[in-house]
Amino acid sequence: MNTVIREDTVTKVEKILQDFIEESGATYALITDMGGNPLFTAGEEDFDVDTLAALSAANYATTKEIANLIKEDNFSLLFHRGNNENVHFAKITQDILMIVLFKPFLSLGLLRLKINSLQQKIVSIIGS
Amino acid sequence: MAIVNLKDKTIQIKIVYYGPGRSGKTTNLEFIHNKLQQNRNQQISNLVSIDTKGDRTLFFDFFPVSLGKINGFDLKLKLYTTPGQVKYEATRRLVLKGVDGLVFVADSLTSRQDANLESFENLKSNLLYHKQSLSDVKLIFQWNKRDIDEKMIPLSPIEDMERLLNAELKVQSFPASATNGMNVLKTVNYISKETVKSVIEKTILNKHKMGN
Repeated sequence: MNTVIREDTVTKVEKILQDFIEESGATYALITDMGGNPLFTAGEEDFDVDTLAALSAANYATTKEIANLIKEDNFSLLFHRGNNENVHFAKITQDILMIVLFKPFLSLGLLRLKINSLQQKIVSIIGS
Repeated sequence: MAIVNLKDKTIQIKIVYYGPGRSGKTTNLEFIHNKLQQNRNQQISNLVSIDTKGDRTLFFDFFPVSLGKINGFDLKLKLYTTPGQVKYEATRRLVLKGVDGLVFVADSLTSRQDANLESFENLKSNLLYHKQSLSDVKLIFQWNKRDIDEKMIPLSPIEDMERLLNAELKVQSFPASATNGMNVLKTVNYISKETVKSVIEKTILNKHKMGN
C-alpha cells in the first residue's frame, strides 16, 4: 500500500509543527513513518533529514522489540541527551513517529506535555 | 510503502537488498555510493553503516539518493541492506518495514546454495510479518560473485540458481560481481525503474484516472 499526502494536509501539519517550535523553543521537529520516510518537518536543520528519519525509525523499532523481549508493552520515554542537542522520540500513531530536537537547557517535562497535546491535533488531520 | 507528497512534489521509495550473510549486499551499496560520488556534481549523502567490529552488518546500511524528476515529481530512493546472518532475524525484519522494491543478492558459491534458499524462505516469512507478500513488491535477483575463478572455488551454474529460486516467479535476474562492479548499477537501475513505475501506476496515475 502506498501513501499519497495531500497538499493541504502537509500545510496544516507543518503549521502545527512550526507553532510548536516557536512556543516550545525546540530546534527541529520531524514526523516520519515507521518505514523511515520523512513526512512532515519544521525548523532548521544542518543534517540529512532522510538519514535522521531512517535511523530514528530503526531506533524506535529496536526499542520496541527490546520492550517485547522483556515483556513490556513499550517504554514510555525514548530520549537521548547530548551536550548541544537532545532528541526526543514519540509515537503519534501505530505507523507514525515524531522526533524533536531541542537544546539541553529546555525542560524535558514541559516539552513532553506539549508533544502530548500535539498528538491529538495531528491525528485529527492525518487520521489514526 | 512509497510516500507521495503532493505539496513538495516528492516520491519516496524504499529499496532493500536482501540475501544470506556474506553474499555481497553491503558491497553492492558501497559500489553504488562510490560511483555516485565520482560521477555526480551534486552532493551525495553519506553511506550510513551499522556494522559489528568484524564488518558484518549488524542492522543495516543506508543511503538516500535523488533520481531527478518524473511527471514533475522529485524521486527519492532510499537504499537499505539487511543483515544476512541468521542470528540477526529481529533487525532484518525491521528493515523490511515499508519496502517497495527488493534485490535478492544470492551467493553463487556452490556451497552457499542452501543458505540462499533459507534466506529466500526467510524473506517470504518476514514479508508476511508485515502483512506483505512477494506479489506486493517488485523483486529481482542478483547472482553475485560471478567473477570468482571457478578453478579455485566451485560456482553454481546460473541455470541451477534460476531453478532453485526463480523457477516460479520468473522475475528479472542479473549475474553480477559486487566487488568489480559488473551489473551492480544495472541491478539498481532496473529495480529503481520498475519500482517507480509500479508506484506511479498505483498512486498518481490511478488518482488521475479517478479524477482526483
